[in-house]
Amino acid sequence: MKYFLFFTAFIALASFSTLQDTEADRLLGVWEPSNGKARVKIEKIGNKYYGKIVWLKEPNDPATNQPKVDSKNPDASMRTVPLKGYRMLKDFTYSSNSQWENGTIYDPENGSTYKCIIKMTDANTLDIRGYIGIEALGRTDVWKRLEMKK
Amino acid sequence: MQKSLLAAALALVWHSVVLCQNDTLPPAAEEEDFSMYENLDFADEGAKRFCTPKVFDLSPAKLISIGYDYQGAFDVDYGAMQTRIAEFPGSTGKFSGAGGMRVMANIPIVSKTNVVLQGGINYARTDFYSSDQSTNTPLHTTLKEKGLTTMGIHSTLFKPLDAERFIIAQAASDLNGDYGLSNIHPVRFARTSAALIYGKKKNDRKMYGFGLSRTYRVGEINYIPVFLLNWTAPSRKWGVEMLAPARVHVRKTISARSLLLFGYELEGNSYRILRNGPFGAENLELRRSELRIRAIWETSMYKFIWLSLQAGYRHGYSFNVDSFENNKEFFRGFFGDQAYKQENTLNGTWYVQLSINLVSP
Repeated sequence: MKYFLFFTAFIALASFSTLQDTEADRLLGVWEPSNGKARVKIEKIGNKYYGKIVWLKEPNDPATNQPKVDSKNPDASMRTVPLKGYRMLKDFTYSSNSQWENGTIYDPENGSTYKCIIKMTDANTLDIRGYIGIEALGRTDVWKRLEMKK
Repeated sequence: MQKSLLAAALALVWHSVVLCQNDTLPPAAEEEDFSMYENLDFADEGAKRFCTPKVFDLSPAKLISIGYDYQGAFDVDYGAMQTRIAEFPGSTGKFSGAGGMRVMANIPIVSKTNVVLQGGINYARTDFYSSDQSTNTPLHTTLKEKGLTTMGIHSTLFKPLDAERFIIAQAASDLNGDYGLSNIHPVRFARTSAALIYGKKKNDRKMYGFGLSRTYRVGEINYIPVFLLNWTAPSRKWGVEMLAPARVHVRKTISARSLLLFGYELEGNSYRILRNGPFGAENLELRRSELRIRAIWETSMYKFIWLSLQAGYRHGYSFNVDSFENNKEFFRGFFGDQAYKQENTLNGTWYVQLSINLVSP
């Protein structure tokens, strides 16, 4: 009987954990910011979520005709890193209520990193809010989920 | 019992395998075939793309700004003025300088993809320094004893219609006059300005628009067409930031955290004056407008805290006084022939302005 209870508790715990993972993993996929200039693939590494640029509307720098690099990065050693493949969303963890927190978003257009909260408003829509210090001093962008063309 | 233990062990192994898979790092960026992301479309059929209010390397929008403005020595040539009590001949007043605090907040109220609404407050004080006793014109006395203050509220709406077209609406209400914080004028003296612009954002380096403004930038009420242009060269070293005719600047980008602007701004408002003096029964307003030709250096001091230092030449565009019959504002425009109560000339001088700013993401 003792072993049965232990087994039941273990299965319940494992199932709850898996359920939470499934809920949190709804964030995975390819998303497009509202301006349509880039596509970002969100993936999971360990227990955290990261987003990297996988497509650019304008992949080459018009001044050099070479693939765009992270030229605005405050760290000079990063300024030759290609933007395609760059992780602009970092360290997000799932909290609850379709919200991922504790992460940062990097804006390659000005080399700034902001605190960030992601809210999933429906299965195909994310509110990405980057802010300075407090949430009120920020800007929300709406990202849409992408899928293979039918 | 042994079967239960075996099942538990298998479950543990299965769960560990799942977690281990999540711990596996994805392949390095250079190994990934990015071409697979070209053939994608919205999962939602009704989804739309919207343009943003910025172009590359635009000077940062200020959320909170605290600064000080100082003008060097200058003269004012006062015209003759007839009041109900006395007549004052034309004269010249000398000021050793003028300056004061400027505080502004511009906070996002709604900041979404399909609408951005900002609202804020502003305060600008100008104290006029003069020991000149050679003129007794009332305006000179008022300026040096009371100075000028502006306090107001403003809001800006950016409404993208789609990925290219947008509308900007601005409105502001300012209370201007010869008052201080201890004797603020009644709100009924507030002056309202507004602008509406329709524009297009062709790409991340160019957005432009046309519209109409109701403005006091020339000192008195006027209705002026406006032209918006924010443009960044392909090299991203130069650009233009323009809301003509109010302000026009050429931008030189030094780095992501430092830039220079060269150009001008027309600043102006209509100030209720002389309310408490011997001429208080008259409804007078100073139509003050200054053209500031300048260079501005803006740089990040620490993350989103930016320093702005500007210096240049302040040209007096208007410094006339109007009298309102029945206390009602009236439109003169560029071609009206209504006479001023007093025609003055504000002579030019150098000026500097320093501010510390919290800038927007």
